[in-house]
Amino acid sequence: MNFIRLIVWKEFTQIRSDPLIIRLIIFPVVLQMFVLGYALTTEVKNTTITFLDRSDTPESVSLVQAIKRNPLFAFAGCAESESDCRRRLDRGDARLALIIPATFARDLSGPQGANVSLIIDGQDANSSNIASGYVNAIITGWSVSYLQKKLESRGLRLRNVLPVEARPVILYNPMLKSTWYMVPALAVVLVTMITALLTGFSIVKEKEAGTLEQLMVTPLSPVHVVLGKIIPYVVIGLFELSAVLAAATLWFGVPFKGNFLTVLLFGLIYMTSSIGIGILVSTIARNAQQVLFMLWFILIFFLFLSGFFLALENMPAWVQKLTYINPLRYFMFILREMFLKGSGFAELWPQGLAMLAIGGVVFGASLLTFQRKVG
Amino acid sequence: MSIHNSLGTGAASRPGARFSNPRIRALIRKEVWHILRDWQTLLIVLAMPVFMMFLYGYALDVNINDVEVMVEDPSPTPETAQLIRAIDHSSLFKVKGVVNSVGNPDDLFKKSHVKALFRLSPSFTRDLLRPGSPASIQVLIDGSDQNLGTVLRNVTEPFLQKTVLSLVNTAVPVTIDVRQTILYNPQQKSALYFVPGLMVIILMMISALLTSLTITREKEQGSLEQMLVSPIRPAEILIGKIAPYVVLAAIDGALILLVGYFVFGVSISGSLTLLSVASLVYIFAALSLGLLISTISKKQEHAMLIVLPATVLPTVLLSGFIFPIASLPVWLQLLSMAIPATYFLEIIRGIILKGVGLAELWRPMLVLGCMGLFLLAVSVRKFRVKA
Repeated sequence: MNFIRLIVWKEFTQIRSDPLIIRLIIFPVVLQMFVLGYALTTEVKNTTITFLDRSDTPESVSLVQAIKRNPLFAFAGCAESESDCRRRLDRGDARLALIIPATFARDLSGPQGANVSLIIDGQDANSSNIASGYVNAIITGWSVSYLQKKLESRGLRLRNVLPVEARPVILYNPMLKSTWYMVPALAVVLVTMITALLTGFSIVKEKEAGTLEQLMVTPLSPVHVVLGKIIPYVVIGLFELSAVLAAATLWFGVPFKGNFLTVLLFGLIYMTSSIGIGILVSTIARNAQQVLFMLWFILIFFLFLSGFFLALENMPAWVQKLTYINPLRYFMFILREMFLKGSGFAELWPQGLAMLAIGGVVFGASLLTFQRKVG
Repeated sequence: MSIHNSLGTGAASRPGARFSNPRIRALIRKEVWHILRDWQTLLIVLAMPVFMMFLYGYALDVNINDVEVMVEDPSPTPETAQLIRAIDHSSLFKVKGVVNSVGNPDDLFKKSHVKALFRLSPSFTRDLLRPGSPASIQVLIDGSDQNLGTVLRNVTEPFLQKTVLSLVNTAVPVTIDVRQTILYNPQQKSALYFVPGLMVIILMMISALLTSLTITREKEQGSLEQMLVSPIRPAEILIGKIAPYVVLAAIDGALILLVGYFVFGVSISGSLTLLSVASLVYIFAALSLGLLISTISKKQEHAMLIVLPATVLPTVLLSGFIFPIASLPVWLQLLSMAIPATYFLEIIRGIILKGVGLAELWRPMLVLGCMGLFLLAVSVRKFRVKA
């Protein structure tokens, strides 16, 4: 144990004397936290929309007003013709175009109902789906209130005509804010990057400088060296995790309903994987640049398959199976559930166990390769 | 270096002389060797885009279907059973279970991970068959994932209305029918969305990251100073070092387009020439950015530290690839206008998806070109001062 303490002390001294590492610990995390915290919004706002109102009646004007008044849309001028609509979309001035036909007001009271056409810029399938969904919802709302007025003039109430009434209640994230969902997951990304990168750099730099061989000829066993080297980064990782959690609750206002100590414990379990990957990569790589590239490659792979910004439920079955070996997936799930639902050990132990198993395998493998390659 | 160009002997050592092709060629040869020797990095550089394309190709599906839900049905009747079957058969929902009563919904959401709970009222069937009082369904939605939550909130009410109306054989009172036309990507194929985005990211990564690393490496090892005291002019060093990376970036770009075409069926509706020109302008701007970073950093780690947050991060997040620019807060929108990726994405989406030409795209082209020239001027100036 004494050996390990010495290595830990050496590592901490090295970190303290290297202003670059300290900046690496603080600067990118703070920057990413804030830029990502604000940029990672899957909400679709300020969608530009243009109108071609051929009807020009009180009804059509009221419909156009209903969309224009909605803060989700930005009005991009009125088009003069259908080809003008197309031109506006081609140039990128508008992303949606609503065309109201000349017969709109008359058809509205007819048996078939009126129809309008909506032209959608489909370049970004996700946001255009959401934006056109909003337009549909506004039009439905407008037509319901129109129907209501018509029924009222005949002494009827809409509520009595419809046979069913659905009342949606939104739990856990009642304002449907994307920061509440994304920022806890961001903590996982940042912790992974910092712990894996720092461990990887720290080992590969000793390799480059030739000091790793010197350490190996001392009475220390390779296991001691590795344990001594990683303990400082575990501490930094836990510290980083707490800092991000604090920023999430204090700055971004995400409610934290879970237990802080449980988060740290899960974090510790998770770091066996992230640090294990760092060690594994640094034993294979020859220089810091290769460590960076390889880690980046791995991180992108894991991020895609973690549910960070692409929902796992939508992926094909075989890809979903692949995600079961991804430690990020579990930790991200755990943090999100703990933050928003206040889940604890009782609900999250299966994920914890899976992380422990993956961490055990990765860490064990990394110790073995380190021993074989270096020791 | 004793080989001179057509200007003749002595011209090279004279300040203000024209560039010497053989010297640049020798530098390029040296750089190519550097690249080939580090085959691990080269492999990652070439495999990364293909790998990312397959990830996107298989992992990205924006259509939401088969959302798992629970139904609480306190008084089962043939009518409620019919409704539950209709919910289960819809493409949107999948009924994971029907229970008589859910004690605490919180426990349900924490343990079974369903996304919504439909709670039918105990008097559901009675109310349904009696005119004048609507039968009520409470829908509890797990809003943690706001994307899914928003969709569920918007669709459940109309969905249930329509389903119940058809159960009791009543037509839905239609007033307005919205007919949608989706332009540019009518089948909403995800490949058409990620191929342009990947071009933007990969070209930036290769150009900016690799150039800044190779120049700082020479700086670290002291070989840059040796070159600077030789008769080679600073501008020649820059050209010689950068040219191989232009080729490498162009290869990666072509690789993405080829895999996109042959594997994912992405064809370019606009002009391929314009696309190549625009890509070269973008590579040029990205290389200049990498050059600028290498002039401010002394060590490779510094360069990496600056490159990641200065190029890759904004390219991924602020170019409009993943998150629509219009949805960002104003200060990030301003930032997105300052990065080359935003303009290149507009150009490349315009060419590949919309099939538009220079008439519509001259504005972003002009901005991109000016950005490249500006970055190059600043970095060459800094490089000269240092040299």
